[in-house]
Amino acid sequence: MAVSSLNSSHEAVAARYESVDEVYRYTRDMRLLGFVLFLVSDVVLFSAFIFAYLYLRNSVPNWPPITKSGQQLPRFDVAFAAINSCALFGSGATMHFAMESWKHLNRSAFNLWMIATIVLGIAFLCGQGYEYQHVAISWSGSTMGATFFTLTGMHGFHVFIGIIYLITLFIQANSGVYTGSKYFGLTAGTLYWHFVDVIWVALFYLFYLM
Amino acid sequence: MAIAAHHRPGLIEGHDHIHAEPQGIVAKYIFSLDAKVIGVQYMIAGLLFFVISGMLAEIIRIQLLTPGGAIISADTYNAVYSLHGSGMVWMTIIPLVTGGFGNYVMPLQIGARDVAFPWLNLLAFWMFPIAGVILFSSFLVGAPDAGWTEYPPISLQGPPGTSLWCVAIFLIGISSTLTGINFLVTIFKMRAPGMTYTRMPLFCWAQLATAMLNMVATTALAGALLALFLERQFNVPFYDPGRGGSPLLWQHMFWFYSHPAVYIMILPAFGIVSEIFPTFARKPIFGYKMIAFSSIAIALLGFMVWAHHMFTSGMAPWLQLPFMILTMVIAVPTGIKIFSWMATLWGGKIEFHPAMLFAIGFLITFTFGGITGVFLAAVPTDLHEHGTYFVVAHIHYVLFGGSMFGIFAGLYYWWPKISGRMMNYRLGVVHFWLTFLSFNVTFLPMHWLGLEGMPRRVAEYRPEFQFWNDVASIGSFVLAASTLILFYNMAQSLIRGKKAPGNPWHARTLEWTISSPPPYYNFKTIPAVLKNPYDFGEPLPYFGLDPQEDEEGDGSTFAPAPHAETAERH
Repeated sequence: MAVSSLNSSHEAVAARYESVDEVYRYTRDMRLLGFVLFLVSDVVLFSAFIFAYLYLRNSVPNWPPITKSGQQLPRFDVAFAAINSCALFGSGATMHFAMESWKHLNRSAFNLWMIATIVLGIAFLCGQGYEYQHVAISWSGSTMGATFFTLTGMHGFHVFIGIIYLITLFIQANSGVYTGSKYFGLTAGTLYWHFVDVIWVALFYLFYLM
Repeated sequence: MAIAAHHRPGLIEGHDHIHAEPQGIVAKYIFSLDAKVIGVQYMIAGLLFFVISGMLAEIIRIQLLTPGGAIISADTYNAVYSLHGSGMVWMTIIPLVTGGFGNYVMPLQIGARDVAFPWLNLLAFWMFPIAGVILFSSFLVGAPDAGWTEYPPISLQGPPGTSLWCVAIFLIGISSTLTGINFLVTIFKMRAPGMTYTRMPLFCWAQLATAMLNMVATTALAGALLALFLERQFNVPFYDPGRGGSPLLWQHMFWFYSHPAVYIMILPAFGIVSEIFPTFARKPIFGYKMIAFSSIAIALLGFMVWAHHMFTSGMAPWLQLPFMILTMVIAVPTGIKIFSWMATLWGGKIEFHPAMLFAIGFLITFTFGGITGVFLAAVPTDLHEHGTYFVVAHIHYVLFGGSMFGIFAGLYYWWPKISGRMMNYRLGVVHFWLTFLSFNVTFLPMHWLGLEGMPRRVAEYRPEFQFWNDVASIGSFVLAASTLILFYNMAQSLIRGKKAPGNPWHARTLEWTISSPPPYYNFKTIPAVLKNPYDFGEPLPYFGLDPQEDEEGDGSTFAPAPHAETAERH
């Protein structure tokens, strides 16, 4: 319930706060807005580095760039990254199902989907660690490496924080912090996880397909 | 009475309860969650960094007394002006206008008990002094010496303190972002009942536009700083042209933040003077909606003009024309404000209180700086003026003559509300005239120096520039001395100042309807708002104000609005 939608009559306003649930919805909306704004500012941080990547990429005639010794750097391995991405995208779906199960008061399904999400998230991070070890370029060797490792590293850090976040939510949900009608923490966690997913869509296109 | 209570959102249990005031010095004054206390903390820390950065400015002016450089080496000089700029922009003006006045005044003006996320506010505040200490401690390891803009490749080769600079500015940037998010949610969700957007005080409109800029632009700077830090510490190529990087990339990322940042610094000052003009002219503000919406227009346009800082940087030439035109377009909403303020003063019964004097001084010097800004926005003149003292003169007219004058005006205006004590009127007038005159003596000659070709950021200069440099230096000494008058005035007010009434200026925004200083909870019951606060001569447009002792005895100060139902028609 947004105060911005109020008409000028204060009586009408007062009437909206008559139940405790209304009050909960009001503070929830506030936290939700704050969380969404935080995600927007986070998008800007990624955008800054994506801009840097596109700028550096377009300022040289060839991409992947040619090193001083005259060799062109190899492209990234699309196949492995695509399989690994499936883990993250799949975790977005399982997170959605977890949320839906919670809304339908199906706790055992919720637990199952949450565990699946966390496992898939960890699998994605492991896959990324494997890729880091086997990729032919280094962080400080070229602008390609600099942008790739910085952007995917930032994203991986977000996934790592997200996994800790989801584990916390899982524990909280099972110790009675949330109820069938009051579960803002879960909503925020879902939003965050989808945000991490969407960022990866952009990064996957920019580094592997473009 | 029961019915009245039922109709008051403030009395419904669970939502709007008043928290108990914390006890103990630490909870009350150091790690307080109260936006008012945090606002005062911002002001104290900001003024402290203002003094430090100001002393660095005086070192610069002493150095430039003689063409050969009077006191310090060129390397030290580079560090001094770099930290003067960084300190003034990030540690003084931005925290003062957003964290300081924003935290103290904005929640009071919208009729809230606090900001939306008090813990976030506390976190954001403590990042600020830590960032300030990190910034100035870079003197110990070799201070950054590439100017406040830290352009690579110079900043890549700079002394170790440059990395500390990155960390400090990154921290203050995160602090700004968090404050921006906090203020946006506060303004969107916590306005008093009936306070629609077009009934909101103009200072809050300015804070709204500023918070948007803070939230979006500052994280872009964080990205640029992170990349610079990584390149310096881990040799990761972003900006080094020898390794495929691009120095222009830094300029794009830096100015994408730092041009909006000049609006972060000036919009709250616009808000401050928008409160002061109607109050001391005893007239409704002229063009309320135009002033409010032009803040948003400036904020949006501010994102589309950054490359006008880069006309001489080797940017693609076809980009010059759109950036030049968009920059000049910003003069339109700014001009709307200037003319609205002048129309507010027109025919008003003006009281030349120090706050009003500084607001009028702001109007003059900021307009002057705005006009030289249009010179710099035009590509042909910019090619001549870029990198000269003309730019130094311009930025000081808009940042000192604009933002700092706004801060001084706001200090005089809200000081009684914050401290509960009156400042000395006469000392305030002396402070204004000394500041205004010495400000112009200091910075006006810099225009001529710049047009004659004196480059900025040099420790030595050609002998023919000496006369105006000496004039500027003498002006700056008086300017520094005049600021001491302000600090003396504040100190003597705290010690033996007259007790301030709740509403010493007969102003009409909500913060003046409660006692000075306000109680911990701000409002016992949240009042309902019926109109915008600028209709001088009419009763206050609020319903359900807390009863106050009518200290001035004229009865009008806290008179409730006559008819609640009149609000329906607006």
